[in-house]
Amino acid sequence: MSSVTQMFHVARVVWLEALRRKELYVIVAICSGLILWLGQIRFFQIEGMSKFYREMALNIMSGATALTVLVLGARQLPREFSARTIYPLLARPLSRSSYLMGKLLGVSAAGCFCLLLFLGLYLLGCLSLGAPLYGHLLLQHLWLQLCMVLLMTSLSLLLSLLFNLDAAISVGLLLLTLSSVISNLFLLIYEESNVLTRRVLEVLTWLLPQLPLFSLAEKNVHGELWDPLSASVMFQLSLYAFLFSALYLGITLWLFRRRPL
Amino acid sequence: MSEIERPPLLSVRNLQVAYGRGKKRNQALKGISFEVFPGECVGFIGHNGAGKSTTLKVIMGFRYPEAGSVQVFGEEAGSSASRERIGYLPEVSLYYPFLKARELLELYGGLSGLSKEQLKTRIPVLLEKVGLAGRGEHLLKSFSKGMQQRLGIAQSLIAEPELLIYDELSSGLDPLGRHDLRQLLLELKEQGCTLFFSSHELNEVESLCDRVIMIHQGRLLRDLPLEAMKAECGDRSLEAFYIDTLREENAKA
Repeated sequence: MSSVTQMFHVARVVWLEALRRKELYVIVAICSGLILWLGQIRFFQIEGMSKFYREMALNIMSGATALTVLVLGARQLPREFSARTIYPLLARPLSRSSYLMGKLLGVSAAGCFCLLLFLGLYLLGCLSLGAPLYGHLLLQHLWLQLCMVLLMTSLSLLLSLLFNLDAAISVGLLLLTLSSVISNLFLLIYEESNVLTRRVLEVLTWLLPQLPLFSLAEKNVHGELWDPLSASVMFQLSLYAFLFSALYLGITLWLFRRRPL
Repeated sequence: MSEIERPPLLSVRNLQVAYGRGKKRNQALKGISFEVFPGECVGFIGHNGAGKSTTLKVIMGFRYPEAGSVQVFGEEAGSSASRERIGYLPEVSLYYPFLKARELLELYGGLSGLSKEQLKTRIPVLLEKVGLAGRGEHLLKSFSKGMQQRLGIAQSLIAEPELLIYDELSSGLDPLGRHDLRQLLLELKEQGCTLFFSSHELNEVESLCDRVIMIHQGRLLRDLPLEAMKAECGDRSLEAFYIDTLREENAKA
């Protein structure tokens, strides 16, 4: 039995859970409704309405996808432990690493599905508003968002092993919502800090995922002013996401292997 | 062939497991040793907290021993090779409420390496065997505790294992369910399947087992063939003998 096939079996359960549990429909329905509603706004024919739509819709799309991934990812392991469904699963010839990779695959795929669904709605809104689309920038934004999905999935799995379910979701939400604020705060403090504080800030900057790096929403809104990112920047951002995901996943696997059931 | 000549399927040697650290440390297993041979049906009895579930968890590789060793089919406990040949039923059978019974069995069968064709033929037969015929398309959230236990038995049998390890054999089953399970296990035993299970139901142990292993506070008290155990019981029932033995041990402590 190949471990890839086993991973797909585990991932399938995550997909079925995402499909059959109602709370995820609520996130998707609310955000889809918001995107569609924004696409219908014609406030007194104000010029630049399409920019407002694009900015709001892209941010909702990004936030809702990250939220979906966080909620789905953070509950995978704690629910398996508390409901004891992990015992019959690991009683099979399934390694803990394949199990974890299956969870990663399932949650990431569910996140990608949400992202593509929101993208479809966003494009519909753009068409209805006659808003310009900047193909290259949009594709780059989409790729970086997919990288963020991977990063958020591995982070949520790690948080779920470090904390209980509620705390994992709360910490994940804080990181998600305050990520840009924290980065800006670090920059402000950095200038005024002594050498030791600077080192601490540098370490923290490297430890905490810099989620705003994975959004090109602003550039897509003002696409007429921006060129697409260079291949080398895209490569570095992708590498950043993959390395951080691998690091989080490695720590998760190490903790999971040591954990008695 | 005598047991001495046959290699054991399961070999537990001086197993020691502790929970917690420092003042909270609790030595759950204090060096127990026993073996289970092919074709045997062995009952594992002891009161709550005696160390039965802990022993089974180490055998399955869910928990790591502090000292001692466990070998299953000649492999280290918890290895993929050993788990391929084991059917395990946990103490509490709870399964994904959002899955259908068929999907759950497909998951476990798939993870054990069964093909779609094999699953298609095996699942309806298994569901019928455990008294869940026609329930394959029902969501598990609509299943009662007893039905979940029946499904648990079905999942343990999906890959046609050589060794069945059941933690609290008939927990959650009504008298009819227990009767059906006993018949099913007797059938499997006749087919040469090896059974190792923990239970509080001593009647069940008496009617199914060839050998009984009794543990108390993490120590092995008895490891005897059923007939030898009955001889030791004298005119007492197995249950009365068990209670008397535990009282004697508690008095010693």
